[in-house]
Amino acid sequence: MDSNKKYWKGLEELNQTPAFIESNKGEFAEPIPVEDVLNEAGLSTRTPRRDFLKALGFGLGAVTLAACNRTPIHKAVPYVIKPEEVTPGIPNFYASSFNGQSVLVRTREGRPISIEANPNAIGLNQGTDAPTVASVLDLYDMSKLQNPQIGGKDVEWAKLDSTVIASLDKAAAAGKQITIVSNTVNSPTTLATIARLATKYPTTSHIQVDAISYGGIIEANRNSFGKAVIPSYHFANAQVVVSVAADFLGSWLAGEEHTQDYIKNRDYKSLKNGKMSRHIQFESGLSMTGSNADVRIAIKPSEEGAVLIALYNEITGQTIAGGTTNAKAQTAIKLAAKELANAKGAAVVVAGSNDINTQALVNAINTQLGAYGAIIDLDNYSKQYQGSDAAFQQFLATAKAGQVGVAFFLNSNPIYDYFNAGDVKAALAKVDFTLSFADRADETASELKAIAPASTFLESWGDASSKEGLFTIVQPTINPVFNTRQVEQSLLVWAGDTTSIYDFVKLNWEANILPGTGKVWKDILQSGFVYKGSSTGSSYSANVDVNSVASAIVNDSKKIAGAVELKLYESTVMRDGRYANNAYLQELPDPVSKVTWDNYAAINPKFAEELGLGENGKVTVEANGQSIDLPVVLQPGQTMGTVSVALGYGRTKVGKAGNEVGKNAFPLASLINGTVQLAAQAKVFKAVGTYELAQTQTHHTIEGRNIIRETTFAKYLKDPNSESGRFADSHKTYDLWNKFEQPGHKWVMAIDLNACTGCGSCIVACNVENNIPVVGRDEVRRRREMHWLRIDRYYTIEENGTKFTKEKEIADIQDFENVTVVHQPMLCQHCEHAPCETVCPVLATVHSSEGLNHMAYNRCFGTRYCANNCPYKVRRFNWFNYWNDSRFDNYLNNEFTQLVLNPDVTTRSRGVMEKCSMCIQRIQGGKLQAKIENRKLKDGDVKMACQAACSANAIIFGDANDPESEVSKALRNERVYYVLEEINVQPNIGYMTKVRNTFEA
Amino acid sequence: MRNISSVLGRLAKSISVSLVLLFAVTMTSNAQDVKEGAALFKANCTTCHKIDKKVTGPALAGMSERHSEEWLVSWIKNSKAMVDAGDPAAVKIYEEYNKMAMTAFTHLSDDQIKNIIAYVGDEEAKLAAKAAEPQVAGAGQSSGANNFMIFGLVAILILAIGVVVVLNRVTRTLEKVLINNQEAIHAAQANEEAHAESRNAKFARAFLKNKKLVGFAVLMLVALLAVVGWRTMWNVGVHEGYQPVQPIKFSHQIHAGVNQIDCQYCHGGAYKSKNASIPSANVCMNCHNTVTASDHYEGELSPEIAKLYRAVDFNPDTREYGSNPRPIEWVRIHNLPDFAYFNHSQHVSVAGVECQTCHGPIETMEEVYQYSPLTMKWCVDCHKTTEVNADNAYYDQLIEAHEKLKKGEKMTAAMIGGLECGKCHY
Repeated sequence: MDSNKKYWKGLEELNQTPAFIESNKGEFAEPIPVEDVLNEAGLSTRTPRRDFLKALGFGLGAVTLAACNRTPIHKAVPYVIKPEEVTPGIPNFYASSFNGQSVLVRTREGRPISIEANPNAIGLNQGTDAPTVASVLDLYDMSKLQNPQIGGKDVEWAKLDSTVIASLDKAAAAGKQITIVSNTVNSPTTLATIARLATKYPTTSHIQVDAISYGGIIEANRNSFGKAVIPSYHFANAQVVVSVAADFLGSWLAGEEHTQDYIKNRDYKSLKNGKMSRHIQFESGLSMTGSNADVRIAIKPSEEGAVLIALYNEITGQTIAGGTTNAKAQTAIKLAAKELANAKGAAVVVAGSNDINTQALVNAINTQLGAYGAIIDLDNYSKQYQGSDAAFQQFLATAKAGQVGVAFFLNSNPIYDYFNAGDVKAALAKVDFTLSFADRADETASELKAIAPASTFLESWGDASSKEGLFTIVQPTINPVFNTRQVEQSLLVWAGDTTSIYDFVKLNWEANILPGTGKVWKDILQSGFVYKGSSTGSSYSANVDVNSVASAIVNDSKKIAGAVELKLYESTVMRDGRYANNAYLQELPDPVSKVTWDNYAAINPKFAEELGLGENGKVTVEANGQSIDLPVVLQPGQTMGTVSVALGYGRTKVGKAGNEVGKNAFPLASLINGTVQLAAQAKVFKAVGTYELAQTQTHHTIEGRNIIRETTFAKYLKDPNSESGRFADSHKTYDLWNKFEQPGHKWVMAIDLNACTGCGSCIVACNVENNIPVVGRDEVRRRREMHWLRIDRYYTIEENGTKFTKEKEIADIQDFENVTVVHQPMLCQHCEHAPCETVCPVLATVHSSEGLNHMAYNRCFGTRYCANNCPYKVRRFNWFNYWNDSRFDNYLNNEFTQLVLNPDVTTRSRGVMEKCSMCIQRIQGGKLQAKIENRKLKDGDVKMACQAACSANAIIFGDANDPESEVSKALRNERVYYVLEEINVQPNIGYMTKVRNTFEA
Repeated sequence: MRNISSVLGRLAKSISVSLVLLFAVTMTSNAQDVKEGAALFKANCTTCHKIDKKVTGPALAGMSERHSEEWLVSWIKNSKAMVDAGDPAAVKIYEEYNKMAMTAFTHLSDDQIKNIIAYVGDEEAKLAAKAAEPQVAGAGQSSGANNFMIFGLVAILILAIGVVVVLNRVTRTLEKVLINNQEAIHAAQANEEAHAESRNAKFARAFLKNKKLVGFAVLMLVALLAVVGWRTMWNVGVHEGYQPVQPIKFSHQIHAGVNQIDCQYCHGGAYKSKNASIPSANVCMNCHNTVTASDHYEGELSPEIAKLYRAVDFNPDTREYGSNPRPIEWVRIHNLPDFAYFNHSQHVSVAGVECQTCHGPIETMEEVYQYSPLTMKWCVDCHKTTEVNADNAYYDQLIEAHEKLKKGEKMTAAMIGGLECGKCHY
């Protein structure tokens, strides 16, 4: 309340543009044309009264007739032989893993419906990222191939097998290479099957190449430590984190695991102990990680190396040439270096660059900081990205020389995601037989001779090893939906091995993984993983010639330095584009820009002004001789003279939902020093035409009311109540209504604004759990997205007169580079005095004795008064019958994807309001389980879907009537405040103030 | 009904037991007694054996030829011992029947077993005779069939011609009579009509003159229509009494009533899940593997059970399962709308509600029908009156809180939120 900071969601709001004011007048973007119909002109022209009466009369008659029909026949078809473990109506959980994370798959009547983290796992165990939660939809993707193909025609597996074996024999006889090109494969089983193939065909080789390359780190570590690996990072042990353009909470390496660890030093428990880490971020585009940083400095991509050199100099006291000359950065580096040096052993520097020299310099800095061991673990190293750009180059050269007889592509789509697709096509033309294991005829697969569609991880036996010593199992939860076969089985068949894949996986585990662990196969099926590594790594010291590395960095930086610089990045949501056909992910707003269903060129507003660009403008971005046209997003925080473009969009052959969404930016990348580089010199100029992005940032705006509370760590230490601005502390409140007793449970939630990173996996988890429809780009433009839970992202600019004197030195409000961000999850607050309840004419939304605001869809008849009266703007209206309307078939409404629906939640019809139900099906389920087991409900028995997906533990749910519950403890925290408390609606969701650990003078 | 049948059943059982005892006592001589054998056979063997058919165990016909009497006695007494001892014939049978050992009948004396063998032999002979008889008759019939049929047809033809001739003469006579008396008939008809018309008209005129009566009648009609209309409207979508025809004439009266099979045996889901669930066909096969109800179908397989066998693709003769099962498509009787959440286990396991409370006297239903209206009013009425099962530890904290509010009063489901929308609609 006392804060005079101005929070805004977008530039439209900051500038109060006419369009923004207009669209925020009403709850809904497009008013119903009631006036037109009722006034005289309306009666005589468009919808005359007589027609209306005719329609009404006909409707009444039709309904009367329809009501006369006899009981509809519904068939009930039981199993012939019921599987022993299936009880209709009760979910089963299977331990499996996705991208190496141990997860639990929930199935109902034999079909997987959701995925949650395995709470006992090693590493990431309290949440999942958005692609993991959404992956269950890919199982039912109707754009996948339903049969193997040769030359674009469906064939039997037997025919495919004979063709492939003949080709392999031919290649072997001619002494030609057989190459398997894949992304990183860390599955012991897959590697064993490849080895099996290599035994039969000795010319077989396996090449790994990742769309987003981390070759720089691997090579740098080979040079520095003699270990060509990517280390594991344990941010839980880091009190000071400096990141140079590494989106380590998002897409960089194991972003979700980093989030879990990083937040442990920043959440309410850590603050309660008076501890909070400090995070300084140097980057060009505003990444999700940057939006969570305590201090963020906007730099150009070409300055990344210079910043690291300057940082090295500051820490070691050396004076190596090439340090940054950026004044803002210099100030920050001085402060950061001091912090890092003070926190030796608990400080770490990470860099997002894929340049070998830059990463070598980072190794040198981290050695100085003593980060190797507790924070950077080279013993239990990560095996998630082992791709080598050089190896792929080598393959292309060999293929072009006609030495490759057979090429298999496994999870690899280079024609889409390699920067030089023409080169790949030319090489493939020289290969005698080419085959892809893709589950769909994607950009690469459709150019090849054959496709052997692979089953998804939910239909396959397998395993993964995302970290040295960690082995996770993949077990099937359903029979293959289509006529697909898992890759490993195909490789075995082609190698002449008739072992079934189940036996193969089991034998491989029993022979190579389980010995020495004291566990047997069945234990693994239950626990899902086995860990043979150590708890911490040992200390390492980098052997780096800093002078030569620095001069190389300076030279290479010159190649990308320019008036305008382009930075390509992997978006937190869409990643490298492999999930592009997943409608849940396409509709998930980007954590920072809040754009859905598109990628865009992010440009600083002032820079856009210089280019003559406004809202809905388009630009041509030109780099490395390639150019693409993109819509513009005016992105506060973006460095002047830079443009950021997300990768992973612009797929052309991924499926009905993902085709032609955005533009492919991979061609703008380049190869420097043998590694793929995502930064480049660029030209940006205004393009013709306009394009309206489906951006949700100003939807559901809370009228500029003061709903964010923010303080600094220093103030918090002095007074934990600092800036919490609780209305009740200074005002007496009066109730118009009688107090409603809640003698049983009282369900409440606490949300820690300091923990929420804005990643959005909770939104996807909520969608999956509650059968929330995907509405598509056009409907999002009309502000009709259906998400029950949204994450509001607020910007602030430090205005004059703040206490942060040091910050003032580096702040220049005029260029919009220095913004800070707060992410606020917003969902139904389940108000005790809910304004929506009092205006509903049919009592469709009423309060419960457990403190929940119930919504009875079958009572609702769509007046939408409730949505108009909701101060939090969290109610959503079904403008269409999304589950029975062919316009939405490409997203969720088709016979396959409907199988992902949660059978415990009703799908809502057109004309009905909906909103967060606080996962009431889970509450009821938890209570029933307690009753059946004849016990009291324990804290933690009931978890919300959003809570279960949150690796930052930002969402805490429970029973306020249990004083010992986690949520009761959290809500007793001094930081807790209630949003719009002053209007006395008595919300049941408490928020905790955002605390920023800024530099103090 | 149930009581009577069970009493009868018990009576029959005790009589048969006492008969067996009687025989056992009186028959001390070594002579093999077919009657005693019959009683013993029925008491001990029929669960698994038939004379002429392979059931759980082999068909018994011809066993005396296959094995010596001595061997049979020893086998019946304790087959497992013989198998263990390695008797080749015993091991062969044991292997053939999937290593399922026959129950040991050590309590039967050698003589009793011999009696059974004698009975089997006797039955076998009877069956053979029966099989031979119709065959002979059939052969005779087929040779004589053609002649017999031709004679029959000719006889029928002659008879038909005779009937036609007689009827023709009757018609002609009647027509003659009509022509002679036509005038008299016309006069009588006219007279009658005039009389009736005047009576109807008189009544109508009198009724219309009485305006009060007309008004009253109209009022009554409107009221009647209103009441009927109101009732119909309220029952739109209510299917109380709905009794669709099922693909298999499954009788709950036999299974739950006469045989007293617990509901849980087939509908286990009701105790642990939201769905009561229709049992899968393999549950039916637990019993119907041997129960064929052939006593009611002259030794043939019941046609309804045959449908079950078709569904699981079971061949009762070879006793083998095929690879082409076809699930049974039952017609759902109880249809709740999608927007209403109902959980069986909450009501059955937690609240302890009897199945019959909602499903009616299911154990007397030949064909199941919807007993309850399944309307929201019906749910709510029950929630208002049903007391919470306070023994459950879950309610401890709830009841504690409530006792502070309302001392000594009973607590119904409605009082702990059982009427709130979100309890059933989400």
